[in-house]
Amino acid sequence: MSKLKQLASGWRGICLVAITYVYFLIFAQFAFLHRLATLGIADTHLKLVMASMAIGGILFSLIAARLQTATPPLSPSARLRAALILSAAAALLTLLPLNLFASLAVAFLIGTGLGLLTVTLVTHLPTWLGPTDPILQVGLGTGLGYFICNFPPIFAASPQTQSFIAATLCLLGLFAVGIARPMQPAAQPQPALPPPARTLSFPIVLACFTALVWLDSAAFFIIQSTPALKAGTWVGSAHLWLNGSLHLAAAIASALLLRRRGIGVVLSTAFLALAIACLLLLDPNRALLASLFYPVGVSLYSVALVAYPALLFGPATLSNRAHRAGWIYAIAGWIGSAMGIGMAQNLRHVPVAFVAIAGTVILGPQISHLTIRRSRELTAVAAILTLSLLVDLALRAHHTHTPPLSAIERGRRVYIAEGCINCHSQYIRPNSTDVLMWGPAQTIEELRQQHPPLIGNRRQGPDLSEVGGRRSPLWLRAHFYKPRQVSHASFMPSYKYLFQNSNRGNDLIAYLNSLKSPTYPQHIQAEQAWHPSAAAVASANPTTGAHLFANYCATCHQSNGLTRQTWHNDFKHLPPTLSTGSWSRLQPSDTPAQRQHILARIIKFGIPGTDMPGHEYLPDNDVADIALWLSQSIAQPHQSVTNHTTTGELQ
Amino acid sequence: MSLSLSSAAAIPSRTSAASQPQVAAASATPARTVMAETAWHSLLWLVVANAIGVLIAAMLLLPHINLFLNPWTYGRWMPAHINLQLYGWCSLPLVAFLFHVYGTDRSRFALWTRPALWIWSCALAIGAFSWLQGHSSGKLFLDWTGYPRVLFPLALLSIWALLTASFIDPSKLHPPATIASRIAKTLGLVCLFIVPFLIYIASSPAIYPPINPDTGGPTGASQLESTLVIIAILLLLPYGLARRKSPRSASLAVSWIIFAAESLLCLGLGRADVSHHRPTQWISLGSLLLWIPLIPLYYAAFDWHPNTRRWRIAFLSWWAVLVPTGWMLFLPGVLDHFKFTDGLVGHSLLAMAGFVSSLIIFVMVQLLGDDGWIFNGTWSFYVWQASVLVYVLIMFFAGWREGSNPAFSMIPGTLRNAIYTLRLLVGILMLVASLDWFIDAFTLLRELRPHSPSAPVTP
Repeated sequence: MSKLKQLASGWRGICLVAITYVYFLIFAQFAFLHRLATLGIADTHLKLVMASMAIGGILFSLIAARLQTATPPLSPSARLRAALILSAAAALLTLLPLNLFASLAVAFLIGTGLGLLTVTLVTHLPTWLGPTDPILQVGLGTGLGYFICNFPPIFAASPQTQSFIAATLCLLGLFAVGIARPMQPAAQPQPALPPPARTLSFPIVLACFTALVWLDSAAFFIIQSTPALKAGTWVGSAHLWLNGSLHLAAAIASALLLRRRGIGVVLSTAFLALAIACLLLLDPNRALLASLFYPVGVSLYSVALVAYPALLFGPATLSNRAHRAGWIYAIAGWIGSAMGIGMAQNLRHVPVAFVAIAGTVILGPQISHLTIRRSRELTAVAAILTLSLLVDLALRAHHTHTPPLSAIERGRRVYIAEGCINCHSQYIRPNSTDVLMWGPAQTIEELRQQHPPLIGNRRQGPDLSEVGGRRSPLWLRAHFYKPRQVSHASFMPSYKYLFQNSNRGNDLIAYLNSLKSPTYPQHIQAEQAWHPSAAAVASANPTTGAHLFANYCATCHQSNGLTRQTWHNDFKHLPPTLSTGSWSRLQPSDTPAQRQHILARIIKFGIPGTDMPGHEYLPDNDVADIALWLSQSIAQPHQSVTNHTTTGELQ
Repeated sequence: MSLSLSSAAAIPSRTSAASQPQVAAASATPARTVMAETAWHSLLWLVVANAIGVLIAAMLLLPHINLFLNPWTYGRWMPAHINLQLYGWCSLPLVAFLFHVYGTDRSRFALWTRPALWIWSCALAIGAFSWLQGHSSGKLFLDWTGYPRVLFPLALLSIWALLTASFIDPSKLHPPATIASRIAKTLGLVCLFIVPFLIYIASSPAIYPPINPDTGGPTGASQLESTLVIIAILLLLPYGLARRKSPRSASLAVSWIIFAAESLLCLGLGRADVSHHRPTQWISLGSLLLWIPLIPLYYAAFDWHPNTRRWRIAFLSWWAVLVPTGWMLFLPGVLDHFKFTDGLVGHSLLAMAGFVSSLIIFVMVQLLGDDGWIFNGTWSFYVWQASVLVYVLIMFFAGWREGSNPAFSMIPGTLRNAIYTLRLLVGILMLVASLDWFIDAFTLLRELRPHSPSAPVTP
């Protein structure tokens, strides 16, 4: 039998796991809450309703475990059918216009159905799973459950539609249960346990699950109730597809990990992913990144939440398995979830201390296991780390009398720390085109006075050794904030964060502004002698020039230019809107050719002493195109005539 | 000093070796485990460094990625990428070589190799974290500063201590070496002892190598010097890895004589700041062209494990490309055109991913012997080699365009973006190939684990 067929043989189990997860996630956790909101149930009433659901869940998780030994005995299929019907009924009841008391009753019913459904299903799951690779089947079921919930039409549907879908799926689940031919307990497959699973006792696993559900619920609630975070995580169908895919992939990975490495590794990995997500959520700007870790962490432990009591519990009796499943869902599932939501409601974030405590609970057993198994490695590593620390401290003790650094020196350190050297050289090659573009060359002696010289070996961007002569502090600041706003198509990252709660950005600007050699004034004379090549002037195209103007100049020289608007009050002289003048650098007596040359020089090298930057790296053709368009269209010192728009259309 | 070669007929396919863990585990020896563990560590860093490489290649196309990761932006990932390649992927196979040469893998100290490797990996991890946190000396490839600047040399010293202990161990069971071999190994230990201190000192911002005043890059003499170090390693490696086919070999003698002559030439050139326009510089560097035929002849004088064949061909082929292109790129006019461009990025990749990677995999396969199947997957071999070739070609093309027009890379246009997209794709392919090797190394290690090194075993 092929691998796929073997997997498909357990379709009933896969479907039931998926249905249970969809019911819980899209209905109990999501649609029901929205439905309550539309019914006007909020604040204390909402808490009461949720408490009612939790009480139903806890009670019937524990009762479901005892039904195992009830008289007269009820078959697992009959119990599961009853649970599915109860759950479907609860979902359909939410479609009615409920008042508070009715909501309390329905919530209790939802909890009851879920308690019965989860414990019964997990206790007898091998009955509905195929004989081969049951853990992978659980992973597939869990992953599909999450994938369906993130399916955009379902995720974005109204609460009523979501409730209806959940109820329908429960009823469809009856078919999966009904056709099954339950195996005798003795004949049920007992998959081989991965060794690490045996090292974790049940109370430890229970504590780990509780901590994970706690973290998950807190993160979920925070994202749901914070618009900025929600916008960064669960908005847009592309994001939902990504979430669904991540859930599915992580669920399958979890199953493989469970099979090979055991539950300890899976729980630890899930914790790491969730902990990273929770810590990232502390900063709304990192919500998108958090949204990648969150589904991974959730799916990793969700598979274990089913597979552990159902399959990894070793040779336990059904009663024993049912009882432990009951405790897991009652304590970890319901109480852990309630605690997480409570924490999120009160604090609006997951405290770092809590993440640390959860980490101690979950990673503790793994670390202790590792410490015993790898004592030699750990001892050696710890010894060298300690020795290094002592040597480093001793070396630092010799350098205690360092004088305070100036802003320029601090800025140089920022330059090194941010790795600017990886994109920008600080070396102008003498007797090369570098000199005209970037400024006068330094001598080797001057270079060697720097510790270390920051020559670099790759220019993704311009050379910076004379940037202080070419760019004003304002331009540098604007560029650090939003590079593309002032530098067309720039792929430099934004370094706005250097200016937030720190003076590092200002120090960096002070350093860059200091990069100007004493011979720079002579270099300006060389710039003034420059003019574009005759071929470039001859082939200049004003329409191209208009497009280039829109890309390179409009940000400052149009009234709605972004840089002009953002930094309006910071300019030494507000850049003129070129469509209306004023042209202080041009004279009415200038011939068209003179005008073109003056404009070309300004475009190429900027205006020294002002905030106007040059575009030194632009080829002559581009410079000549812009200069021609400007000189023909709007740079008329004696009149203001606009023949082209800045996007190139003729007017 | 030489490795006992396995039967030429015993070349297990990847599937056969992987499907017979019991057999593999049953014949596990400490030496096999030590080599497998070293391969695992070096491949771990290859995968990590390649993954970072993919990330930074993506950042050049989609700068918004930086927003989600700041302050871990492009500039901070770069040192992590290049240093992990150098100090992780490229260096650890040489550690495996040293373990073999000094008999550590066959001595009672074999069980200390794993802690030593973990110390190395921890030092790299801490170093990478410090670079991402913005701690750097500002010197490319020598970014060590602060605590990691002490830790990494100490990690090297711990390896040195292990090698020394294995070397002087009176109870070792492997056959006594000749006097010449003992002298060579003693000299080797003296040189290795200096390395950690050199790295510490060279990481100082106050020290900077000679500068070519016309480019800001290394001088011809510096390049000759560093290439001669590579050649020295190339010449020494076979003595620790394989048996000579015959006691006397003309190619060996000629190679060592030329090496001595070039070393003298290098000494004569000195360490001044000299331009590549000086004929003495580019002519001296041109003397390296002699090594294009010499190295293949030299390696042909030794018996190699059959598993090494494709990687031996690969590294010798890349060598035949690397040396002439390296020299041509130094020539007046050519270097002036390509300096600071993607052309030199392409050449660096040719050196590291093409030549060095093929060389060290060849070394690892020779050390692993029959376990060398982990590197011999056909598709991963060809995907790696083809990706390197494509990368080098497109970067040379980009560098050529950029040399004429700096705006080509500074203002991304369609062609630049297409090239960078292609580079990203081949980067992903290289990552996938390295993952394949890593997974196979992991499988091998799991097969061998029940017999982890615990007692001395006669080789």
